[in-house]
Amino acid sequence: MRYLIVLIPALLLPFVLTDFWLAQVLTRSLILGIIALSLSFLATYLGVVSFAQASLAGVAGYAIAYFGPNTVGIGVPLPFIVKLPLALLLAMIAGALIGFVARRSRGIYAIMITLAIGVAFFYFTRQNYVLFNGFTGFSGVLPPALGDRSWGDPRPLYYLSLGVAIICVAMVQGFVRSPLGLAVQAVRDAPGRLLALGIPTTFPIIAAFAFSGLIAGSGGILNAWFQERVSSFSVGFGPIIDILIISVIGGLRHPTGAFVGAIVYVILDIFAIDLIDRDRFNLLIGIVLLAIVVAAPNGLQQLAIDWVGALRKRAAKTPAN
Amino acid sequence: MPVSPVPKTTANALETQGIGKRFGGFWAVKDVTFSVRPGERRAILGPNGAGKTSLFNILTGDYAASSGSIRLFGEDVTKSSVPKRIKNGLRRTYQHAYLFDGLSVHDTLFLAVAGLRGGWRQILPVRKSDPRRIEAERLAEVCGIPEFLDRMVSDLSHGQRRQLEIGIALAEDPKVLLLDEPAAGLSPAERPQLSNLLLSLPTDVTVILIEHDMDIAFRTSESVTVLFNGQLMAEGTPDEVMANKDVHEIYVGGTHSE
Ligand SMILES: Nc1ncnc2c1ncn2[C@@H]1O[C@H](COP(=O)(O)OP(=O)(O)OP(=O)(O)O)[C@@H](O)[C@H]1O
Ligand SMILES: [Mg+2]
Repeated sequence: MRYLIVLIPALLLPFVLTDFWLAQVLTRSLILGIIALSLSFLATYLGVVSFAQASLAGVAGYAIAYFGPNTVGIGVPLPFIVKLPLALLLAMIAGALIGFVARRSRGIYAIMITLAIGVAFFYFTRQNYVLFNGFTGFSGVLPPALGDRSWGDPRPLYYLSLGVAIICVAMVQGFVRSPLGLAVQAVRDAPGRLLALGIPTTFPIIAAFAFSGLIAGSGGILNAWFQERVSSFSVGFGPIIDILIISVIGGLRHPTGAFVGAIVYVILDIFAIDLIDRDRFNLLIGIVLLAIVVAAPNGLQQLAIDWVGALRKRAAKTPAN
Repeated sequence: MPVSPVPKTTANALETQGIGKRFGGFWAVKDVTFSVRPGERRAILGPNGAGKTSLFNILTGDYAASSGSIRLFGEDVTKSSVPKRIKNGLRRTYQHAYLFDGLSVHDTLFLAVAGLRGGWRQILPVRKSDPRRIEAERLAEVCGIPEFLDRMVSDLSHGQRRQLEIGIALAEDPKVLLLDEPAAGLSPAERPQLSNLLLSLPTDVTVILIEHDMDIAFRTSESVTVLFNGQLMAEGTPDEVMANKDVHEIYVGGTHSE
């Protein structure tokens, strides 16, 4: 019911917005939000901050480029029905591997390990030409046709991204109420205690990372279609930090926070150029981030919820007429 | 309830042979040999720092033993992993409630009941009618916190956390229960309830109870083991142990906090 308040406008927006707003603001926010959701999921439910989510998105993005149409003449074209699950599977396997490597690490150590993996992947994509086409990467990465149009057109891609975002949020909410999802949260709270229930801790950790790979990978594929390209820049320091910032802005209280964070970030990104020098964007985002962390330690979404709660209370105190 | 494999009648529920645990040059537990019959109710006494909790940690596998061997229903488990011993029916509670603060009481007990058995279905949301959820509700009833099923564990009071600890330990057919000071921090009104809960456990469950509260220890246990400085000091019926001069000295004559 509460979701309809967001969902109905979201469905109607394409009829009122220009293509620029639809594609560059909303679709881009949805895609970044999906990738950030994979990080928020890990941070909230496993208690691990992973800097490797851009890499996981990249794995799926590169896979969809390698196995699909591209204009660089590298790769093995596969039918859509094969390459899509394959790309997602590869992102999940990559996630599982990262989970395995980081299985004993928490806090700062998990950050260091995943950051090292993310950076290593970035340099690897730049130097490998057989799979990743080095520095330039893949261009001409087109989504499948939609009748005589393309899924890449602004409206279809928006609806596709919206659908994927909803599915991802629903999957997160379902997963955290599953036995495996409960075990993941138990690892976060008291790993030794979980062991004393006879449940090994390594499997939930690996599963959580694999699941986050599925979500990041979904975003990564959409991102490749949105930009019609994937390259080392898609997995570099920029995206790694962007995803982290979006998660922090949105807060970790609820999976949908990632999308709030993404919209704020994208709007700042687009309109800051009008206000200040392009080179100063990092300064601006830094100040905004600082302000948000100070004013809303649990993220903007939680701040809004608190405000609404306070308003309701005040409304309840002053009875109508 | 799954049918429990009948332990060999000759085998003790739990049996240790010279077990010890060394931290650096310090033996927290040293050369402890003792055994507990199936269904026996045993209290472990000893002053603070005597090594009682460390002994539990060795038995469960939380600490690797520095010396000696442990048998669980005749099977040598000295080198077994924690989950393996759990599978064989060993359960424990923690002296300092060690729980999943971010889960509800219901979900915590569900995890204790369900584990992660059942293959790929473990990634699907749990249904309200799931029999394992119903079993979790029964456990909450048994340990006395049925009205707090939906509460987050972090919001429970100290006493409720202790009760939840016991509820978790009772999940899935326990055979040997190790209870580490379950009465610590309970109010005088709650203590008799705890005794009654312990007395109402199925008679085939073996219970080893660390307890400073003599009332509870003697009311619920038929035999007593006293640890002192990591070593076994006395063993016997409550009367025998209380008649022991050394025990009298450290326990009744001496002072101890709690
Ligand atoms: N992990 C550890 N590392 C170092 N020393 C330890 C460790 N665990 C326990 N000890 C030491 O071993 C000794 C026994 O501790 P233990 O917790 O077993 O005592 P206890 O009999 O349970 O005491 P209490 O009644 O206070 O709970 C103590 O001196 C303690 O400091
Ligand atoms: Mg102790």
